[in-house]
Amino acid sequence: MNSPGFLDIVSFGPDGWGHVLAAGAWMTILIALAGIAIGSVIGTFGAWAKISGGPVPRAIAEAYTTILRGIPDLLVIYLFYFGGSAVVTAVGQFFGAEGFVSFPGFVAGALAVGVTSGAQQTEVFRGAFRAVHPGELEAATACGMGRVLRFRRITAPLTLRHALPGLGNVWQVVLKESALVSVTGVVELLRQAQIGAGSTSLPFDFYFVAAMIYLAISTVSGAFLNASEHWFSRGVRRG
Amino acid sequence: MDIAFASETLMSLLSALPLTLELAVTAIALGSVVALALALARLSGILVLDWFARAYVFVFRGTPLLVQIFLIYYGLSQFAAVRHSIFWPILREPYWCAVLALMLNTAAYASEIIRGGLLSVPHGQVEAARACGMPRFMIFRRIVMPLAIRQALPGYGNEMISMVKATSLASIITLMEITGVAARIISESYRVIEVFVVAGAIYLAINFLLTRLIAFIEYRLTPHQRQPLAIHGELKGEAH
Amino acid sequence: MNIPAKSTSPVAIGLRDLHKRFGPLEVLKGISLDASEGEVISILGSSGSGKSTLLRCINMLEVPDSGTIAVAGETIRLRTASSGKSRPADQRQVDRIRSELGMVFQSFNLWSHKTVLENVIEAPIHVLKRPRSEAIEEAEALLGKVGIADKRNHYPAHLSGGQQQRAAIARALAMRPKAMLFDEPTSALDPELVGEVLRVMRGLAEEGRTMLVVTHEMGFARDVSSRVIFLHKGAIEEEGAPHEVFTNSKSERFRQFISK
Ligand SMILES: Nc1ncnc2c1ncn2[C@@H]1O[C@H](COP(=O)(O)OP(=O)(O)O)[C@@H](O)[C@H]1O
Ligand SMILES: [Mg+2]
Repeated sequence: MNSPGFLDIVSFGPDGWGHVLAAGAWMTILIALAGIAIGSVIGTFGAWAKISGGPVPRAIAEAYTTILRGIPDLLVIYLFYFGGSAVVTAVGQFFGAEGFVSFPGFVAGALAVGVTSGAQQTEVFRGAFRAVHPGELEAATACGMGRVLRFRRITAPLTLRHALPGLGNVWQVVLKESALVSVTGVVELLRQAQIGAGSTSLPFDFYFVAAMIYLAISTVSGAFLNASEHWFSRGVRRG
Repeated sequence: MDIAFASETLMSLLSALPLTLELAVTAIALGSVVALALALARLSGILVLDWFARAYVFVFRGTPLLVQIFLIYYGLSQFAAVRHSIFWPILREPYWCAVLALMLNTAAYASEIIRGGLLSVPHGQVEAARACGMPRFMIFRRIVMPLAIRQALPGYGNEMISMVKATSLASIITLMEITGVAARIISESYRVIEVFVVAGAIYLAINFLLTRLIAFIEYRLTPHQRQPLAIHGELKGEAH
Repeated sequence: MNIPAKSTSPVAIGLRDLHKRFGPLEVLKGISLDASEGEVISILGSSGSGKSTLLRCINMLEVPDSGTIAVAGETIRLRTASSGKSRPADQRQVDRIRSELGMVFQSFNLWSHKTVLENVIEAPIHVLKRPRSEAIEEAEALLGKVGIADKRNHYPAHLSGGQQQRAAIARALAMRPKAMLFDEPTSALDPELVGEVLRVMRGLAEEGRTMLVVTHEMGFARDVSSRVIFLHKGAIEEEGAPHEVFTNSKSERFRQFISK
């Protein structure tokens, strides 16, 4: 085992770890983006169910958010990772494959992050919808807008504007939660740092650099989200 | 669902419950002390303390808890000075590393909650206490803290629930708390759904009880927001 | 003001025996009313007498329990749902008729995420499918007419109440409505801003537009409208030309109401 120094970890040279850590950081961002995208679909339906669904959809949405608020994210990741593998294995055996087939960690991770962030986004969207001035929706109805047109042109844009701060928070949570996906073996930032730590004698340096990269991603994306929130909320009254 | 397997799983998971609770309670209790110190540092008006607390909160809230756990458990052992220090017997134990990471992490979040509570105390009530001639520390203990706690309690409750959930990460550094045991049973039996349901139910039960407990404390701490029940018994003296 | 002869002008809005209840509360108790084209009808009445509900029934923001509504001779078809509630039989018909009526709300209800100009062109483009350039051209003319052309790129939150309400009137006009419904358009305004909105409304009345105006502005009712209707507990208590009802009304309640 050779002993590189701290500079080798951050270097992009031939002996440096810069490239693989950057690739890991990119994978972290991809997991987080996939998770938040899946979660936004779930959150939209969840908020719809809670706002205007019948008693059954509402009860389902309520149970969903309550359960996800109460159980650890790691457990959800295990559910999708091992559960997905069990399903894939069963399908494989049906088609004559032998033994255990592993489920892609990225898919399991993105689904798990999506399901947990979906619960948070359900609440964000619901709160945002309630912040929309009902008169603005009524004015759209009074102009003769149909349901779909009104949703597309008025309800959705207004709700989204009120949801932006909350979505920013969810993004930060998702970014950190994506580190848990490393347990499935996906080589994202933390897993890459683990690999580095294992093949050198510099665990602290690697985890420290990983921590700094997480901090940088969350700071930069946070600043970007703030700016876009500011931009999109022109004219929108708050509170 | 296979009842025999489910009840067997339940018993195994319940045997891991004490460790989960121990981790959560220790981290929350120790973390609250650090959190209070951080909140006071933020509000102290002393620039160095203020900036230290800001940086602390920024770093611990901006990085994943799992990275913090790895930094403490795997990272610190890189340094000979740590390995030869008197802290090594503690820092080599996954249990204490997990407690340390959870505690430092929750302290960052909780300090912001406490700070919000402290800032919410109406200035007039502090002035009234000062006008009574109360010394600074007494004002803090008798007036500011009780009001701040009431204000911060709901947020702190959520943070406690987060901590209960966060104890699951200790399984990644070999601690066999509930999630760790669940993962072991799953990898032995491949019965994902059953184990998930049982483990999830235990966490839900813990967090449900925690929510009730906090609601009860909140109720006890806010008699002034309740409907007046009886006119008599108003001057019963010390309430808390 | 000249009063159009009722017999010659066609009926713009015709209401027959409208009934509406909210739970146990009967808010409209059989209202019948014909508004001829070019008529300006002021609807008066104390708070809770059902004025808003009456206006909102006309464009189906509230669905009446029974009775009929006809806009420009076309009757809105209603059906009885399985729950026993009255519902529009054809939502597309309702949407179309809504687009033929311009509504102005007490609280303006401009879309806060759109500029004034965007507010005005929104429905013409997306509901009436007019070409964008044409809609913009017409919108700018309307904004000029209500006196806020210079505010067209402002967001509503940055306008005064009077300017917002004038923008809302321009938005309603952009639909080229067959009739306009005003629900207390000046009640949310500071007193010094009421005049600018009333001036715009008076201008519209002089153009010969059909208007139903719920208002507490007695000056407007007396001087601008061709007919005054006084609602009391969901029924028409007094009705007539302003110079008649304001001088010698048979209704004790109406005399009391206007003396306040
Ligand atoms: N959506 C509704 N649900 C229940 N009651 C309503 C509703 N809208 C109006 N009401 C009631 O109907 C009555 C008439 O209301 P409204 O037409 O708004 O009166 P006005 O505009 O003359 O003040 C009031 O008592 C009001 O409380
Ligand atoms: Mg009204």
